[in-house]
Formats: sequence, structure tokens, C-alpha cells
Amino acid sequence: MSGLGTLLRQRFRRDRIQLLVWVLGFAALASVGHSAVSQSYGTPKDRAGVIVLLEQTPSVLVLRGTPQGTQSDAFQFMLLFAFLGVLIGLMATFLAVRHTRGDEEQGRAELIESTPAGRITPLVATALEGVIAVAVIALVNTGGFLLYGADAGGAVLAGLALASVGGCFLGIGLLAAQVMRTSRGANGLAAALVAAAYMVRGIGDATGTVDVDDPLSMTAGWVSWLSPIGWGQRTSPFSDPTVWPALLGLALGAIAFAGALALRTSRDIDSSIIGERAGRAHARPSLAGPIALVWRQLRNPTIGWLVAAVLFGLLVGSLSETLTGNAPADVKQNLGDTVGSIAGPNAHGDLVDLFIVAMFSMIGAIAAVCAVQSVARARQDEANGTAEIVLSTAVSRIRWFVAYLVIAVASTVLVVGVAVLGAIAGASGAGAPSGTVTTITSAALAQLPAVFLLLALVALVFAIVPRLTIGLGWTLLLLAIFIGQFGGLFGLPEWARDLSPFSHTPIVTEANADWGSAWLMLGLAVVVAAASVLLVRRRDVALGG
Amino acid sequence: MNTVVDITGLRKTFGRVTALDGLDLSVAAGEVHGFLGPNGAGKSTTIRILLGLMRSSGGSATIFGRDPWTDAVALHRRIAYVPGDVSLWPGLSGGEAIDLITRLRGGAGDRKAYADRRAHLSEVFQFDPTKKGRTYSKGNRQKVALIAALATPADLYIFDEPTSGLDPLMEAVFRDEVAAVLGAGATVLLSSHILSEVEHLCDRVSIIRAGRTVETGTLAELRHLTRTEVSFASAGQEASAFAGIPGAYDLVVDGARVKFTADSDALAPVLEALAARNVGGLTINPPSLEELFLRHYHDDIATDAATAAAAGTDAGARR
Repeated sequence: MSGLGTLLRQRFRRDRIQLLVWVLGFAALASVGHSAVSQSYGTPKDRAGVIVLLEQTPSVLVLRGTPQGTQSDAFQFMLLFAFLGVLIGLMATFLAVRHTRGDEEQGRAELIESTPAGRITPLVATALEGVIAVAVIALVNTGGFLLYGADAGGAVLAGLALASVGGCFLGIGLLAAQVMRTSRGANGLAAALVAAAYMVRGIGDATGTVDVDDPLSMTAGWVSWLSPIGWGQRTSPFSDPTVWPALLGLALGAIAFAGALALRTSRDIDSSIIGERAGRAHARPSLAGPIALVWRQLRNPTIGWLVAAVLFGLLVGSLSETLTGNAPADVKQNLGDTVGSIAGPNAHGDLVDLFIVAMFSMIGAIAAVCAVQSVARARQDEANGTAEIVLSTAVSRIRWFVAYLVIAVASTVLVVGVAVLGAIAGASGAGAPSGTVTTITSAALAQLPAVFLLLALVALVFAIVPRLTIGLGWTLLLLAIFIGQFGGLFGLPEWARDLSPFSHTPIVTEANADWGSAWLMLGLAVVVAAASVLLVRRRDVALGG
Repeated sequence: MNTVVDITGLRKTFGRVTALDGLDLSVAAGEVHGFLGPNGAGKSTTIRILLGLMRSSGGSATIFGRDPWTDAVALHRRIAYVPGDVSLWPGLSGGEAIDLITRLRGGAGDRKAYADRRAHLSEVFQFDPTKKGRTYSKGNRQKVALIAALATPADLYIFDEPTSGLDPLMEAVFRDEVAAVLGAGATVLLSSHILSEVEHLCDRVSIIRAGRTVETGTLAELRHLTRTEVSFASAGQEASAFAGIPGAYDLVVDGARVKFTADSDALAPVLEALAARNVGGLTINPPSLEELFLRHYHDDIATDAATAAAAGTDAGARR
């Protein structure tokens, strides 16, 4: 194991910012989770009301988990664990692939493996880094529970459950990196397995049964035994502590790691179990212009967002009616306040309509991601030199950059459009009144101006300071979403909330909703976008650096 | 003869850094013009200005008499360009990238001719078009750009260090293909720091250094600035025995050989003198561009070496 310490330090050196962000993110989630539970569902009675609502709504159980009684920590665990499991799973797989297949693809692995470190030590160093990262995040999770006075044994077990999910996917990520030829392929496979683990346990939870002796607890269906995230949930640390399901995840991770070691020992560098698919020898006739080229590059992620938008729309549509179901009135009131604050500043109206508006602001966020991803792509193409190839052909700078904006606007409209279709389908399936369709459509349309304004602002950043496009672009997006949608929940002052375009989205639940701000944002977006195109026309192509 | 590329006093600054400082370049129609200089001399910056990717800070640059910044699109229909470091789209195969670049340049025109030409180039360059962009080596990425550039006719070809990453066999293929497009009446601007490539291909050469043109002319004209090396068997005689050879510089006897240099355009009297002495084993080496090149950068190299040596001494003293 020559050089193990050096390689481990190198890995932490390379990942230091990224890991810090992950750890802080988990700490923030622990804190937000606790305050959300204590503010929105402060009393056992509130929580009991929500649990009754959940038990009748399998589509929410899919997203969250099975209720385990009204104890506040158990309630928080139920709300958040599956989500945290997905996050730590992604963290671990990306880390695993980055330092193995990623390095191999870039040619760095060849350099390292030619030293006495050999083939195996780099893999062990990556595994070790992953184990440490997962352990730190698990400790943060445990610490979060302890800080708010949870039962110590339960807090430790909650951390262990999270660590078992992380450890399991660390091993799976390392194995995927051996199986696939490219880091993109390995990340795709491992992330798909994380998503599958989430969905499988979702099906298990949705098909769960209410406990006979405790009507506010459920037992998940057998299907969730097929998911590492399901194993973590089954430790039920604050209601019925059980350690051994967590050990299943750790064992599977260890087996996958052993498999990765065996494969790496026996295979050549740059080889893989599943080879890279050969591409087409000739381009399809449709691949003939800048717009087709941008679409070709963004197609896969955009399709992913479209699928997410349809599913989310279906969920929103089908849920909207359950809210009017037989939940206690005070629970509805409570829910209405929370939902209303997401819907917009001082929003009021019918609970169902508020709910639809609040949920469509999430669709607006997804659409904004699609928009920003397109401008970010323009910057990546400019920095890595492919833009130079396009611009040295008969394509003007204006036509080149407008292609990214066209794809941004088109994918934004598509995301919102398919979400509307999904929501209408879901609502009519649940037998909602016809007025709901109007609410859905206008709530969706109301999202677009803010998204377009954000897109135009990021385009302006690209035109003026191209090197900051990616960092500043995503930061602007996150801030706008956070301030616009959760600013109310976190009690930000009004002037701060006004900074986000999303705060100026019309609230369509109100009888005479004010669309003036929407038109204003739309006009501003057009002007800023036009200015950014002209500025791109005038500046040099700025290469990477 | 028509001038295709005409650059006078071109300047480009990036903040406080001056990349081009009054560069001149003139490329006539139908010629292969070598654009020589060490890394960082400003070759790629000049080419990016010629392609309208960057804007000049001063001076003038035109292609076919038009401004590359304002008339970029119209000019690019007549230009094929191969960058020095080719990047490809990771998800596109090499074949897709070639077709895409061709279409973006304004279409293949005659489809049949394009398909044949593409097939021919793929074969001679031994290129597999079905692999994905991210899996190609540097040489194979270079081939994508070369095939795309050569597969449809252009009036001007701009190659920025086109054969870096290609093996000697492929370099020979490249030279053949360039000869073919020249036969069709095209003009070529070839930037390089590989001298043999330029010697093989170019009619005229411009040498640039630190953003300025320091020498320009045909190879014959430039050769005249350097001396030819002559050597023959000494047959046991001392250096003093050869004192009477006219125009011989730096004559030395090195073991069994006598060596000296002579001005390339004044060889006739030298040869007469040698014939009169009836020397054996005569060799005459023409000056290589290598020497020409070294002469222009020799100062730099000497300065660098001195700096490095001084730094080494400092380090030694500290130790």
C-alpha cells in the first residue's frame, strides 16, 4: 500500500470544498428539518392530524416514508430520511466514480498507477475517503438530533442508518466505475440505482399497512426490503430501534467493494465490463445547425427534467383533492399557512388553489434549472473550444448564442407544459371540479415571466463576465428560488424577498390577481436578453481559464 | 498575384499583456504560407483574429479584402480551419462531428462528391468515425478536424499546428492531401513550429517572435541569409593548407574532416578552389530552416539558459 497516505490526502485536497458543502448541507437540512417540524407540526395533535392525512395518501408515502407514531424525532425521521438517503447515496457514488473511472478517463490514473502505488492502492484510498466522508455526514446527522434533545440511542442509530445507505452506495459506485467505460456511464448507472432504491422503498411504503395496535404507525410492504434506503428506514431509531437492517447496507457495500477490487485486479487499464456503445458513422440529417447541436447536447438532462415535471404535475393534481378530505380543520389551517407562505407574499385563497400555486412554484424552479443549464452549456462550449469550431464556420456569433436561448426558452415552456398536462390528468383522475384546470393553467403560466427574467440575467452575466457564468449563474438561480419560495417560511424581510423574480410572480388564487408585474418582468427579460445577445456579438471569444 | 490574407501593423492586447505588437503578414493566392514561431509568439491569436473570433486592438487585417470581424459569416463559407488543439463534443461520434462541421460551413454541396471524399479521407487517415468524441486521443481529434476541413472544397485553408499528435506516416498523408487541394487552386496558411513540415510544404514563410514579424520571404530568399556547410577529407593536411579558399568562414580540421561554412549564394568560387585542390569525400549541406529559426531565437535561448544557470547557482548557495 505504498503511497496510500499521500493518495488519501490528495483526494481530500481535491474534494475539500465539495465535501465541505455536502457536510454543511446535511447540517442545514438537519436544522431546517427540526425547525420545520417544530413550527408547522409543533404538537402531537398536529402531527397526528398529518399522519391521518398521510395514511390515506399513498402518493405522499412514496415521497416520504411510513409514519412511526407522533413522537417528534420519529416524525422528522419519517419526513426526511428517504430524501437524505438519496443525497448521501449520490454524494458517495459521485465521489467513488470521480477518483476511479474519472481519473482513468482523464489519463491521470495511468500516471499514478505507473508509480509504486499500482492499481489497487488508488482504489483503496478512494474507498477510505468515501468511508470517512460518509462517517462525518452520519455524525452530523446524529449531532443534529442530539442538539435538539433527541434520545441518544436513537440519534446514534439514525446516524448509523444514514451511514449504511452511504456505505452501500459507495461500494456500488466503486463497482459501477469498474463496470462502465466512462465516468458519465458509471455515474449514470450508480445514480439510477440510487433512484431505484428510492422508488422501490417508495412502493414498499405506499403499500404499507396501518398497525393494528397503533393506528398512527405503519409497517412498510415487503418490497422495501429490496432497497438499501428501505433498510435504513427499518431501523426506526425513535420508535422501535433495530440495528441489524443497517448492517445489511454496510455488508452489501463491502461486497460491492470486494467485487470492484477483484475486477480492478484482473482488468487492463481503460477497459471495462460493459464497453462504450459505438456511435453513428454519419450524422442524422437533422443535426445541421446550432439549435440542433445545443439540443443534442442538452437532450438527456432535459428529458430527465421533463419526466420529473410530469410526475410532479400528476402528484400535485391528484393530491389537490385529498386536501379537502377528512383531515381535522386545525390541521388544514396549519397546512394552509405553510402552503400560503410558499405560494407568495401575503397569499390567501382556497386551500386547494393555494396548494396548486405553491406546488407550481416548484415547477417554476425546475424550469429555471433547464434555462440556466442551457446558458451554462454555452459557457462550457466556449471554454473547452467547441464553440471556436462552430464560430469558424458560417455561423455568426448572434446565431450561435441565440441557439442556447432558444433551447432554454423551449425547454422551460415544455417543462411547464407537461407539468400542466400531468396536473390536469391527475386532478381529473381524482375527480376535481373543472375550475381546478383554470387554476392549474394560470398558476403555470404565472411562473414563466420570473423564469425568463432569471434566464436573461444569467445570459447577461455570460455576455459581460463569461468566466463567472457557471458559478454565478447557479448561485443566482439558487438564491432566487430560495428567497422567492422559502423567504416567507424563514421570515426574511420584505425588501430581501423583493430581490427574487419569483417573489413578483402573480398569485392567481386571488380574485383580481395582479398580472402587471408579470408583464413587466417579461418586458425586462426581453430587453436584458437582447442586450446580452448584442454584447456577446461584440466581445472576443473567451477561452477557458 | 492577388493577396488573400493581408495583415499590417496588427496589434492585440489582453489587459496589460501585449500579444501582437505590429504584426505583418501577406499571403498570396495559390501559395502555401508558413507561419512560424515558438509557442506564445502570437500565432493562434493572429489566426483567431483572422477568423473573427477576436477583435484586433489596432492595425488592419483582411481576408479576400474583407474585414474578418464584420464579414465573418460570408468569409467562413470560403475558409476551412483546423485548430491547434481540437475539442470535440463528448456525446457525438467522430463521424457525426465531421458531418456537423461540414453542414455548419454551408453544406456539403454535391452530396455524392462529399461522401466519396469523406470516405477517402477516413481511409487514408485510418480514422474510425464511430467512436464517441470523449474517447478519441489527441491525434484522432486532430483527424476529425482535418477530415472535416479537407472533405469540402475551400478557397483558404487555415491550419494551426495541424500535425501535432499525428505520427510521421499521417504527416505524410496530410502533406499529400494539402498538395491535392493546392492543385485545385486553394491558398493555405500553415502555422507551425515543426520546421520540416514547413520546409516540405511552404512556398513562403513568415517568422514571428513576440507578436512581430521578424522575417518573411521565400525559402530561397531566407536560405540566402544563412551559410551552407561544406566538408571534405583532410588527407592529413593542416588547417593552414586551406587558407586560400575564398569565402570560407570558420574553417576547422576535425580529425579526418575539414569543415567550413560559406555564403549560400557565393559557392561557385569555393567549388572552383576545391576542385583545384582535388579534395575527396566532399559533402555540401544546404542550410535548414532549423538554423534559420535558431538564429532568430538564439538570443532567447541563451538568455534563458543564463537565467536558469543563475537560478541554479542561487539555489546552490542557499543550500
